[in-house]
Amino acid sequence: MTTPHVQTDTQEISHPFSSLIKMRDIWKTYQMGTEELHALKKVSFDVTKGEYVAIIGPSGSGKSTLMNLIGCLDTPTKGEYWINGEQVADMTDDELARIRNKEIGFVFQTFNLLSRATALHNVELPLIYAGISSTDRHEKAIAALESVELGDRVTHKPNELSGGQRQRVAIARALVNQPSILLADEPTGALDTTTSSEIMNLFERLHAANNTIIVVTHEMEVAERAERIIMIRDGEIESDKKTR
Amino acid sequence: MSLTSTYSLFKESLRLALRSLQSSKLRTFLTLLGIIVGVTAVIAVVTIINGLDSTVASAFSAQGSTVFSVSKQPLVITSREDFIKFNKRKDVTKRDAEAIQRLCRSCWRTGMSINGTGLVKFGENRSENVSVRGLSVSMFDIENVVLQAGRVWTEQEGKSGRNTCVIGTDIIENLFPGSSAERVIGKSIKVDGLPFVIQGVSEPFGKVLGFSRDNFVYIPFETGQRLFGARDSIVIHVQVEDSNSFETAKDESRSIMRNRRKKRAGDDDDGFSIDSQDAFIGIYQNATSGIYFATIGVAAISLVVGGIVVMNIMLVSVTERTKEIGLRKAVGARRRDILMQFLIEAVAVTMVGGALGVFTGYGLAYFLSLALGFPLLISAQSGFMGVTTSFVVGLISGIYPAFTASKLSPIDAMRSD
Repeated sequence: MTTPHVQTDTQEISHPFSSLIKMRDIWKTYQMGTEELHALKKVSFDVTKGEYVAIIGPSGSGKSTLMNLIGCLDTPTKGEYWINGEQVADMTDDELARIRNKEIGFVFQTFNLLSRATALHNVELPLIYAGISSTDRHEKAIAALESVELGDRVTHKPNELSGGQRQRVAIARALVNQPSILLADEPTGALDTTTSSEIMNLFERLHAANNTIIVVTHEMEVAERAERIIMIRDGEIESDKKTR
Repeated sequence: MSLTSTYSLFKESLRLALRSLQSSKLRTFLTLLGIIVGVTAVIAVVTIINGLDSTVASAFSAQGSTVFSVSKQPLVITSREDFIKFNKRKDVTKRDAEAIQRLCRSCWRTGMSINGTGLVKFGENRSENVSVRGLSVSMFDIENVVLQAGRVWTEQEGKSGRNTCVIGTDIIENLFPGSSAERVIGKSIKVDGLPFVIQGVSEPFGKVLGFSRDNFVYIPFETGQRLFGARDSIVIHVQVEDSNSFETAKDESRSIMRNRRKKRAGDDDDGFSIDSQDAFIGIYQNATSGIYFATIGVAAISLVVGGIVVMNIMLVSVTERTKEIGLRKAVGARRRDILMQFLIEAVAVTMVGGALGVFTGYGLAYFLSLALGFPLLISAQSGFMGVTTSFVVGLISGIYPAFTASKLSPIDAMRSD
């Protein structure tokens, strides 16, 4: 019962489990008055487990929109998106919240730490929404902080930490739920050169430990650390190639 | 979602709420002012009125509702017209009293009093505005006057119009400082310039609402008539043996008096007034219920204002924390988690206000009870009511800001700076 030409077309869709991320013909359209603005057009790509991908593009290219879609912060106007086997394109807000909690660890340019909470509490945050008991939470958060070499800064508040340390707390927070993807948005944008390379080294270590990493950036040096670069321009994928 | 996770979220929200309360104490205080004032008002008034009720109840139940008085004018006159009308009535006289004593079968004891105030002196010591009352001997039983020293004059002594008296303990304090009751017996004091020999000293009655009830000189009725003038109207006091015959005795006395005043069935005015403590209690209850409702009005207004202030501050807080809300949503907070966080915060704020209000209310009531001299009756019920009310205010004023927060999109929320 196998007809080859049908197979090639439907195989990808009927076996979404082969990739961690699977985007097919994704469109994001904004209505600007009477005009339609296509932030993303016909975007399709896959990311498999353990990959280290950089998404690069100039500002206004649509890379932030793409990051929001990958991170399940937003839904596409059209298209299909599977993350770890689940179709997320039509999910409700609360379902998306669950997916973000389970599958995605965010690292932001400006860290986005709760300023009045300790490093430990900041790292515990995703676990609270995952409904994990306080003893487990504590253990996991400590382990995550130790994995970014901040085991001795557990009770410090963000304003008592350096920029690099803050970003490491944010990375610990992103990792604590053991998400499928670590999604970083300009992770070195607010850091100096030395600290930036420190953070990029950390990403490399995490990659070596078989984490899937997607970095969104406009800096080529940052992108070149990844093993694959997806270039976005005018809402479309301009190129998608391995660096090594 | 399991129970433990709901609990974790609740704890997280509560922790957050308390932290944001602490972080800006002045702002928190100002936010809470309306609620504090509202709850304080309710608690203080409820507590004070409870105390007043018990004072009034104990002060009046000493005589109970077995005694009524017959007099020219009622105890309470509320208008000038009434005053003029009552002043035109015939005086109540000793003969009226004798008639009631003779004819009223339900009446147990009858007594007479003639009341005035005077200046009392002993040597250089003086006491002004002393209640000077001429009493028939039976009045000591009717008003339950118990002597701690000396004795009451006899009927015979009274009739002879002797210058003798029974005094209240304030008179000892003012005229014979430091002296005991026994040692003042036989001393001669001057009442409005006339010498009177102290024959007895009453047990103290104590204070009601800060007013002493022991600043009196009781003299024989006949002596009183001589002192104040025989033409003055007197007050007839009637006591029944048990309160069941109270109304009957009042009716009998009324018809006896109407007969003596030659009143017909059609005449509106009796030409005299019959009063009992019920009248006092009625006036008291009228007054306190007025205070009660006024306070509830004030409290309601300040709670509404307080609620609006809380809502406003919560909206500011949502705007200020847009980024935080976005982050929470990004890491997995659902709408209801954010909604709950802000609701809990609003409720925590108002309940802290409510609790503060309960304590300041009790404190206020405490100082007023000390100043006015009535017992402090703290009811847990009013405290519970105060906190519950503030809970409800928090819920109502928190719902809209919390809903606004829960609807924020994680992207928009994180973009704002």
